[in-house]
Amino acid sequence: MSMISMRNVSKWYGPQFQVLKDCSVEVEKGEVIVVCGPSGSGKSTLIKTVNALETIQNGEIVVDGVTVNASKTNLPKLRARVGMVFQHFELFPHLSIIQNLCLGQEKVLGRGHDEAVAKAEALLKRVGLSAHAQKFPGQLSGGQQQRVAIARALVMDPVCMLFDEPTSALDPEMITEVLDVMVELAREGMTMMVVTHEMGFARKVAHRVVFMDQGEIVEDALKEDFFGTPRSERARNFLSKILSH
Amino acid sequence: MAAGSRGVNYHWNWGILLEPSPDGQGTYLDMLLGGLRWTIVTALCAWVVALVFGSAIGVLRTLQSRTAQWVAGAYVELFRNIPLLVQLFLWFFVVPELLPREWGIWIKQLRYGAFYTAVVAIGLYMSSRVATQVSAGISALPKGQRMAGTAIGLTPAQTYRYILLPMAYRIVLPPLTSEFLNTIKNTSVALTIGLMELTGAARSMQEFSFQVFEAFTAATVIYLLLNAIVTFGMRALERRLAVPGFNAAR
Repeated sequence: MSMISMRNVSKWYGPQFQVLKDCSVEVEKGEVIVVCGPSGSGKSTLIKTVNALETIQNGEIVVDGVTVNASKTNLPKLRARVGMVFQHFELFPHLSIIQNLCLGQEKVLGRGHDEAVAKAEALLKRVGLSAHAQKFPGQLSGGQQQRVAIARALVMDPVCMLFDEPTSALDPEMITEVLDVMVELAREGMTMMVVTHEMGFARKVAHRVVFMDQGEIVEDALKEDFFGTPRSERARNFLSKILSH
Repeated sequence: MAAGSRGVNYHWNWGILLEPSPDGQGTYLDMLLGGLRWTIVTALCAWVVALVFGSAIGVLRTLQSRTAQWVAGAYVELFRNIPLLVQLFLWFFVVPELLPREWGIWIKQLRYGAFYTAVVAIGLYMSSRVATQVSAGISALPKGQRMAGTAIGLTPAQTYRYILLPMAYRIVLPPLTSEFLNTIKNTSVALTIGLMELTGAARSMQEFSFQVFEAFTAATVIYLLLNAIVTFGMRALERRLAVPGFNAAR
């Protein structure tokens, strides 16, 4: 059974504009999928449907055996098991780093404070930010904030992770530190869906690449095939543009 | 012109403040300070009403439900667009008549009826303004903040409680200070329904003693001092709640 299974997913904004057109993707446990495509192609919307941050009008999404778009699904409970990392980090600015990592554990998972702190400290150590536990998000660099955001998702012991352009708001010199954490995570066997333009990352750890354009999944191919001989004209065009420099 | 010609012949007498007042409760100064007490109690109670109702309505305005937005919008327009004095009269003279007869009589016989009416009228009037500030504060936050809270599994109520409101209140603390000061100043309209707050006490002192300038100068100074203390306190609160690195971050 797939960890994430999306079948014939469609979404409209208003009556006219269709952002997702009949999208189907299967992500196996331990698989890393990179989703790429030109801006406005619907890739961010696609991964936000996985934890129901975006609703869908047609199709079916199943995550770890739970149907996301069923009306009886306990969405908060489901979301707690799906880690998400945002383009603009979205740490909670009024909470210290350690509080950022404890909030979900205590309020959603019901963990005790000491247990939550211990878990948070372990994850902070893993992303190399133990020294910053008592600081506030505004006192950290972008790269550090994004690493904290990854740790904030991991403390919840997620079954899979979603990344929505995790490096596109970062200064170039900070991209590597974030990608290093993601590569390590992928190598440990985390199931990941990553929207990114970092083709280096895709080449290194992705199993498959999903290419989207105008709300459609144009190509869903093994990494080797995608970078070797993309079948579609649109994917070839896209690749030649982002790889030309 | 009248004040000018009166000013020439006016007999200043600051000693009047320490002379006994005809109400038998002490000096004229005691009378003003008694008014100050009513002003403070009325303003604090009205401010609590304004914060509680204003926050609830402010949150409703930011929910996705169209119904919630409509209800909150109607509330704000209703309480914001009718003059405070008219609202005060409606609560004091009209509402008791609209209720079942026994309730109306019970309300009219309340010992501190003018005080309760002032708290309700000023509190609800100010709540529409607080609601506008609170919803503006929530809307000023990046959309991703709500998503981030939702994504870690918080319910909508928890997202407001732990993420959106703590930041929204910080953002709108300076305008909320102004609204708190407005609440204090607005308590003066309650003299029209017989509440002996500071302005009422000053007018009463002037009627008994004919020392109009002393009475209202003293009241003015007391208002200025009171509001200076509130401003000072709110600034201290702003400093205490300041988020390290927040302004630098965005």
